[in-house]
Amino acid sequence: MKINPSFVEKVLCAFIRGEFGKFNYQKAILGLSGGLDSSVCAFLAAKALAPKNVIGMILPYKDTFGEDVKDAQAVARRLDIRSEVIDIAPMVDTYFSGRPTQDRVRIGNKMARERMSILYDFSAKEHALILGTSNKTELLIGYGTIHGDMACAINPLGDLYKTQIRELAAHLGIPAKILKKKPSAGLWPGQTDEGEIGLTYGQIDEILFRLVDERKSMKEVIAAGFAKEAVERIMTLVRNSEFKRKMPPIAKISARTVGHDFLYPYDRNR
Amino acid sequence: MRKKARLIVFPELSLTGYTLMDLVQEVGLNPAESPIFRKVKALSRNTDIVLGFVEEKEAGVFYNSSAYLSAGKIVHIHRKVFLPTYGMLEEAKFFAPGKNFKTFPTRFGRAGLMICRDFLSYGAGYLLFAGGADMIIVTSAAPGRGYSERGGFATDRMWERMAEAISFFSTSFVIYSNRVGCEDGKTFAGGSFVYNPQGKLLIKASPVEEELVFVDLDLNEIRASRKTWPFKRDDRPEIILRALERIVRKYED
Repeated sequence: MKINPSFVEKVLCAFIRGEFGKFNYQKAILGLSGGLDSSVCAFLAAKALAPKNVIGMILPYKDTFGEDVKDAQAVARRLDIRSEVIDIAPMVDTYFSGRPTQDRVRIGNKMARERMSILYDFSAKEHALILGTSNKTELLIGYGTIHGDMACAINPLGDLYKTQIRELAAHLGIPAKILKKKPSAGLWPGQTDEGEIGLTYGQIDEILFRLVDERKSMKEVIAAGFAKEAVERIMTLVRNSEFKRKMPPIAKISARTVGHDFLYPYDRNR
Repeated sequence: MRKKARLIVFPELSLTGYTLMDLVQEVGLNPAESPIFRKVKALSRNTDIVLGFVEEKEAGVFYNSSAYLSAGKIVHIHRKVFLPTYGMLEEAKFFAPGKNFKTFPTRFGRAGLMICRDFLSYGAGYLLFAGGADMIIVTSAAPGRGYSERGGFATDRMWERMAEAISFFSTSFVIYSNRVGCEDGKTFAGGSFVYNPQGKLLIKASPVEEELVFVDLDLNEIRASRKTWPFKRDDRPEIILRALERIVRKYED
């Protein structure tokens, strides 16, 4: 599972540069949360496209995550990229004031989609492509809000497990404070991914690597010494989140149908 | 051409890019009539050229092909035989498979062409050897897969391993030209290389950056290696043919 961070950096920077060249965009925009993944993505983008072409959007809900805003601003300063802070509380509160709820998942999803909506608006305003920051662990277990934090134009980090992103981050010189931070989706104060999932990223990634990359069966992974409950829980998360990794199915009627047999590369005409 | 190269080798599907899917039907061409080929043929007057393209050989039937051009003419066309179709690769969905591995004369000696996955079949390598190849030219669009702590993709070694073996045991040059860059998130692993007839690596291009690398091939090395290692003299294709016939007949039972 160990990566060679300088090789991965080279490939990802070439990927970012290549995609922006093909689609004829100079500028990249991304949500900066003050966490690990978005910081790594910003570092890569600044390297690939030059700092003046990267915009970090800091989108807190009031001051619930006070430290995170400061950390995100520190990343922007360190990289010398433009950043912008917009509080999403007015939009989110207006919506929920008429239909109050205590459901933290609904509120968290609404916040993620509010951030997405701002990113897409800014991407039009700035003529900038949105960089996704979902990592492989999140994509596989479905730990992300569909049409929220998962929405993007290109995703440089989607084939790296969380623990591998940490390796890459250390190589890129990400501030120690961010490296040590407990990963959080920022759904509510004090929320941590590992607390919510009930397993550490180290454990999840070790299991996913065997199930996915090495194509091992659950039986084989359990026989190799991993806790049965953990393996089963992860497999369930993977199985139940397929819909987040695909375009929605289209009911086929004609001889040639979008999503079925109208088959073109994403890069068509680029 | 400015440097007066006498042979230039481009990667697989170099005229169109690799990821085509339904575009195959739109970019397919017949080299005998294609205006693009008229231009490339003209360019091959002093420099021999190997390139890749989608060939519409019969109406509506498309091949993943490569051509060897020299002195303004098409000398040889190879149609990819082994079309990888598994995981992220889906060539057999869009292309018809070629049916042969042939060698042909060039001003550098006999050459044979292979395309990407063809090269990973040791049967195919043997056929070019048995056909008398002095130079095996492989055009490729091999995506990198898997990482290693050393750097590079895990799949890189696979191509070099085969090239080292084939060049040494066929006592011929192996020229491998692979695409770099990204298509739909797939990163092509580049790393084009040349092995001499002693199985020695002569040059290796970058795995990430687009590059034009030059190498001088000493054609005397072919003869020199065959004087030391008489693999070619001692080959018995008729034994292999008969044994294969027996094996294939058994399949059919």
